[in-house]
Formats: sequence, C-alpha cells, structure tokens
Amino acid sequence: MKLLKTLAAASLLATPALAQDDDVTLQLQWVTQAQFAGYYVALENGYYEEEGLDVTIQPGGPDIAPPQVLAGGGADVMLNWMPSALAARERGVPVVNIAQPFKSSGLMLTCWADSGIESPEDFRGKTIGVWFFGNEYPFLSWMSQLGIPTDGGDDGVTVLRQAFNVDPLLQRQADCISTMTYNEYGQVLDAGVGEDELVTFLYEEQGVSTLEDGIYVLEENLEDPAFVDKMVRFVRASMRGWKWAEENPTDAAIIVLDNDATGAQTEAHQIRMMGEIAKLTAGSDGTLDPADYQRTVDTLLAGGSDPVITAEPEGAWTHAITDLALQ
Amino acid sequence: MSGGLVLAALVVWAGGWWMNARLARMRARPGLGLAAPVVFGVTVLLMWELVVRGLNVPGAILPPPSAIGSAFVVNGGTLWEDFVQTFLKGALSGYAIGCGLAFLVALAVDRSGFLKRGLLPIGNFVAALPIIGMAPIFVMWFGFGWQSKAAVVAVMCFFPMLVNTVQGLAAADRMQADLMRTYAASPWQTLAKLKLPAAGPFIFNGLKICTTLALIGAIVAEFFGSPTLGMGFRISTQVGRLALDVVWAVILVAALAGSAFYGLVTLLERAATFWHPSQRGR
Repeated sequence: MKLLKTLAAASLLATPALAQDDDVTLQLQWVTQAQFAGYYVALENGYYEEEGLDVTIQPGGPDIAPPQVLAGGGADVMLNWMPSALAARERGVPVVNIAQPFKSSGLMLTCWADSGIESPEDFRGKTIGVWFFGNEYPFLSWMSQLGIPTDGGDDGVTVLRQAFNVDPLLQRQADCISTMTYNEYGQVLDAGVGEDELVTFLYEEQGVSTLEDGIYVLEENLEDPAFVDKMVRFVRASMRGWKWAEENPTDAAIIVLDNDATGAQTEAHQIRMMGEIAKLTAGSDGTLDPADYQRTVDTLLAGGSDPVITAEPEGAWTHAITDLALQ
Repeated sequence: MSGGLVLAALVVWAGGWWMNARLARMRARPGLGLAAPVVFGVTVLLMWELVVRGLNVPGAILPPPSAIGSAFVVNGGTLWEDFVQTFLKGALSGYAIGCGLAFLVALAVDRSGFLKRGLLPIGNFVAALPIIGMAPIFVMWFGFGWQSKAAVVAVMCFFPMLVNTVQGLAAADRMQADLMRTYAASPWQTLAKLKLPAAGPFIFNGLKICTTLALIGAIVAEFFGSPTLGMGFRISTQVGRLALDVVWAVILVAALAGSAFYGLVTLLERAATFWHPSQRGR
C-alpha cells in the first residue's frame, strides 16, 4: 500500500496538491535516501498521524527543481539548499525558510592526493567537477572569495559539469570532484580508493558552507492561519522523526529502504549515510540560527562575477513556525 | 489576475482565426502561402503573452515571450558560445562522421550480401540503444568536451543514414542494371552513373532525418557531463536556477538552428536531385 502511495505520488508530480485541510505534500530535493530519514521516520512511526496530518513524500531527482514544483502548486512544502532557495526568491518565487533541521553542511571537495593539491590555492590550473542545478553556488562563491577564476587556464580552475556520480575522479578526468560526506565520499571509498590517497576540503571547515536541506514554503501561504497551523504540526512531527533517526540510525536506514520505491539503495550504504547525516542534524532542534543564515548570505553575496543573489534578501526566513512547534 | 488581458487574448484569438479563414478563401497569389503561418504564429505569441500576464503565471513556470526575447538579446554572447560548442563542434562533426561512415558502409553492404545479412541486424540493434544509456559511457570514454557529444551524434545518425542509403542503392530497376551490363560497365561505373543518382532522394532523406537527430543528440548528451558551456549545459543549469527565460531562449536558438540546418539540406537536395519526379513540378 505504501509502495502504491509513493508510486502514485511520483506519477502525480505535475498535478496540484489537493488543498484539503490536513494533507501535506513534501517535495524532497533528491531521491529517497537516508538524507531524508527524519521525514520517513515521522511517516512510518505515525508522528504525522498523531498531529492529524496526512503527509505525502515526493522523491526528487536530477531534473526536479523543488522551487519550481512549489511554484507550480505540486507541493506544499519543500526541502532545498539555501543558495538555491534564495536564488529562487530573487527570481520571483518567494520561498521562506520555516525550519532548518540540518545544522551543518555535508558538502566537500574530494581530490587525489597525488595531484599535488594541499591547500585551496593549489586548485589553480586543476580540473574540478562541480554539480550544477542549483548546487554550484557554494563552489562559485568560494572560488571568487579566493580570487580564483573558474574559466580554465593555468591560473584558474577548469570546471566540469559533473553528473551525480564519482566516475570523473576514478577515471582521473578531474583532479577533484564534489562529494557529500554522507554519499559520494563513501562511493569513492567503496571503489577501492584509500582515504590516504585522497585530500578533502569540507566547505564547513573552509568557512564557506551554506545551509542545506532546510524546509521552505511559499510566502503567501504563511498569511493563512490554517496553513501556518498545519506547518507547525508538520515541523514538530518532522523534528521528532529526526531526533529518533539520530538515536536509532540503523532502524532509520531500514525505514528509508522500506520506502524506496526504486529499490536502488542498499542497506550498507543507507546505514553509513544515516550515520553521517546524524552528524549534520545534531545540534539543530529545527530552529534556524540567524548567524548561520547570515554566513550563507555573505558567502553568496561574495559570489563575484556571476552572483547567486545580487542583494541582501528580505524576509527569507521566519521563526514563527519553529517558535510554536518547539515550545 | 487580470481579466482584461485574458479577454484581450480571446479577442486576439478570434481575430487571428478570422484573418486565416479569409486568407484560406483567397485565390493563390505569390507570397500568400507565407501569410497564414505568420498570422498563426503571431496570434500564438500574442495570446501567450496576454494569458501569462493576465493570469500572473510565475516566470519560473512559463515566462512571457517578451521576457524570452529580452533574455535572447541580453545573453546573445553566451548563447552564441553555446551554439558554437554544441552545434558547430558537437552536432556538425558528429553528423559528418556518422553520415559519412554510414554512406561508405552502405556502399560496401550493397556490394556484398554477406555484409548485408550480417551488418543490418547489428545496425538495427545500435539504433535501438537509448541515448541516455550511451551518453554517460561516451562521456567516460571521450571526456567531457564536445568530442563525446560528437560520438553520441555519430552513433545516432549512423543507422538511419545506413538504412536509407542501402535502400536507395537497391532502387535502380533490374532492367536498368541489365542495360549497364550490356554496355560492359564496371561496377564502379554502374554505381556512379546509375545507382547513386537513383539513390539520391533516399540519401537525402537519411541526411534530413539526421539533422534533427544530431541536434537532439548533442543537446541531450550534454546533460551527462559537460564543460561549463553548451546548449544542453545551459538548459539544465538554468532550469536549476529557475531562469526559465534563458532556457526558452536556448530552445529558440535550437529551433532556429535546427530549422536552418534542415532547410539547408533540403535546398541541397533540390539542387542535386532536380530531375527526380519527387522534385518536379515545384
């Protein structure tokens, strides 16, 4: 039944969510995996049900832009990286962050140690794989802060548009690739590469990390008290799910696997992912830390030639929901 | 919401309908053949603009044509670089390699029944390979540059061209071939004087099919890894940035390039096979 529901949700991607009182459609920003364990746990353990919510979780994918789904009425609430959400806001899709379950960022660059890269200055003249589709902003901002051009040459980096796999590194088509601590980095290790052969740069440690996997809704919906009430319950149940997942990583990974309609995920990979995800959600009760928000905005505003956002955003986040949800 | 604009769209629609109905009843005159499609196109664009503005459709869902036009002008330099990378380097070189090889293989297949029975099924098999299966593999083999896109295009073009050319070379009548034989013509003379001219329309048919395939192949292959330019790269990254006006501007470039390429091959066909019944009376 659950499988049917997920399939139905996936096939109804383009249809507007039915605006019934307690139906919530959540648009994930990627495929079903432990990165979203908290929501699946809340669904499976009945936390949403206890709050009187009927939640549908729509998996994303490489060609699904959550802000677009939200703008088109295909979902009530979405998960998104803040750079992409702020860019969408500037593009006329006014999304607002209502909760931030992830305290820290899992984004990192993974490089071959034998490429001679020891510090970010060594990126000059090298080839780096970067994800686009809204995930390129942190990298471009970081490079422009370092003053390294991204259009190739001996002095700049040559950027490849990397697909969501680690082949360019293994094939040595790139000296560095983008990886998430909880996903692709493990895939590199699984391919038989030793950690000592790699050099990693965590965006978090470089001071250029941007907030990931926040919960966003459309601004106009926040004027509706019924919707706000629904979101308060949704955030409360979701955070319960997250804290349960942090404490029971193995069980949470199994719940995610049970909800994976594609059958593409493996148990070992999901358990490891959950362990890494737990490190990122630890230290957040769901409330957005304004200092983290400011760091994200400052990083993006330093975006140089092709800025992600051109002006300091106004009203891009609110504590209204979390204040009520986490009393 | 602005009802006035939506109403205006309906008026434009009725007006366009009326004009085209009048045009359809007119007697044929030079230049009239173009009038009806132009009226239709302008009507669609005007309605699109008015409806999108009237219903306040967000730009992230469907931008109005005016926004697309200004994105086309503002990003002219970028779009040109993308066009050079994807079309001139990726699509055209792949097209030349794919169609050229297919033509040579077709000549060999025509001479040998052995090859015909062995190669055509393999060609069928290759034709059935999905592009999204091949593209990532070719990116792995030939790198992220335009070379991997050219390889995808070459594979996509190879088979339609091969089938059409083989079919064309078999188009000459038995009787005509017998006549060449009575003249003691060598196989090469028969090929040059009889078979190739007879195959002309078929060969151009293959070339025309491949123009569309080449453009599609080059753009889609860029979704699986590319440097930071190219039409496919631009489409996929700008969708992620919700810059749908730029995405549509790239689609406009693709439409213009595709139509021009197809038109060029059609003109070549007219020049080369003017004698053929399919081209006479135009």
